[in-house]
Amino acid sequence: MALVAPPVPVDVRIRDAVFVCIGRFGLAKTTVDDIAREAGCSRATLYRYFDGKAELVERALAAEATRITNLLIDEGRSARTFADAVVAVVVAAARELRGHDALQFLLVHEPEAILGHLAFGPGDRVLVAVGGSLAPAFDRWLNVDQAAPAAEWLARVVRSYVLMPHPPIDFTDPRSARAFLESLVIPALDES
Amino acid sequence: MTDTRLSVLEGTYECIARRGMAKTTVDDIAAASGVSRASIYRLFPGGRDQVLRETVGWEMERFFVRLGAELGDAVDFAEFLERALPLARRDLSDHAVLQKVLETEPDRLNALITLQQHRVIGAIAAYFLPLLVRDRDAGIVRPDVDLAQAAEYVARLSLSLISSPGRHDLADPTEVHRVVHRELLGGVLTR
Repeated sequence: MALVAPPVPVDVRIRDAVFVCIGRFGLAKTTVDDIAREAGCSRATLYRYFDGKAELVERALAAEATRITNLLIDEGRSARTFADAVVAVVVAAARELRGHDALQFLLVHEPEAILGHLAFGPGDRVLVAVGGSLAPAFDRWLNVDQAAPAAEWLARVVRSYVLMPHPPIDFTDPRSARAFLESLVIPALDES
Repeated sequence: MTDTRLSVLEGTYECIARRGMAKTTVDDIAAASGVSRASIYRLFPGGRDQVLRETVGWEMERFFVRLGAELGDAVDFAEFLERALPLARRDLSDHAVLQKVLETEPDRLNALITLQQHRVIGAIAAYFLPLLVRDRDAGIVRPDVDLAQAAEYVARLSLSLISSPGRHDLADPTEVHRVVHRELLGGVLTR
């Protein structure tokens, strides 16, 4: 008997379609119709689950943040040493962000849609939130008071080196990421 | 930079200070700078967007030049950073034009500042490098550290700290001492 993947629930299909459409048309030009078409459902179905484009984007973003956070926590927890965990989390984060079509489209074509939320005051809140939610990635090596600040610092490093233009180092490459992190970052987070 | 180019940037800065970025037109810039529309388009082929972008980058550079002059010399790099971070944070918070535009047009300004950031990162890293070299020669920086890479790292993360301090209170000297010696220079210093 052939194994058949369980059907993807329609609200998840709709959420996934948001990023496909943003990667193709950008945020401003994506319409609810585009998303419904991409998800293979009707407008009426879409409106049963979501109030409109703004709510849809917000919930898709929250789901995506949770997915990436869980993936990074897994990467960190399954590493052998603290240094390995830092490298694994940073490399996985860089790969997720660099390979994210919707994010990359926005960084190039609608930077204000992304960067407005990542700098100054709003950036502050994002860093603290990411630090808090990513802390479990390091809880095998650091206690709670150390893990969140360490995760926040790594979020800063990734924000500067992966999201900003002209990065001098390719963090998607484990070897260059490790050399860099072991020299400058890990010694700063390791000893308490 | 030519005098005319500088006049355009200064005029644009005045316009932004007065009415923000969205409402500043090339005509306003021409009037404020005393440079004709034709010359503005010749100097900045990208037009209004390019002028606004370069004005933001130019003011960012000026900000750090002023900061450097205010700071003067220090015994070592760590001490320099301990004085620089609180002062930079304070000057950013007191920067009237920046704070006004951050309030009225945050998304647009944040995007421009981020995209212009590499201009100042290079300049700040170049300023830091000789300080690191001096400390390595004095034996307080590890001999095996790639100093150019370290200078850029500290430049990037210092910018990050002064614009979004997160959990770090840069007005608290104990906290600043800690973040300088641990997060910023933990991999660099011998002690």
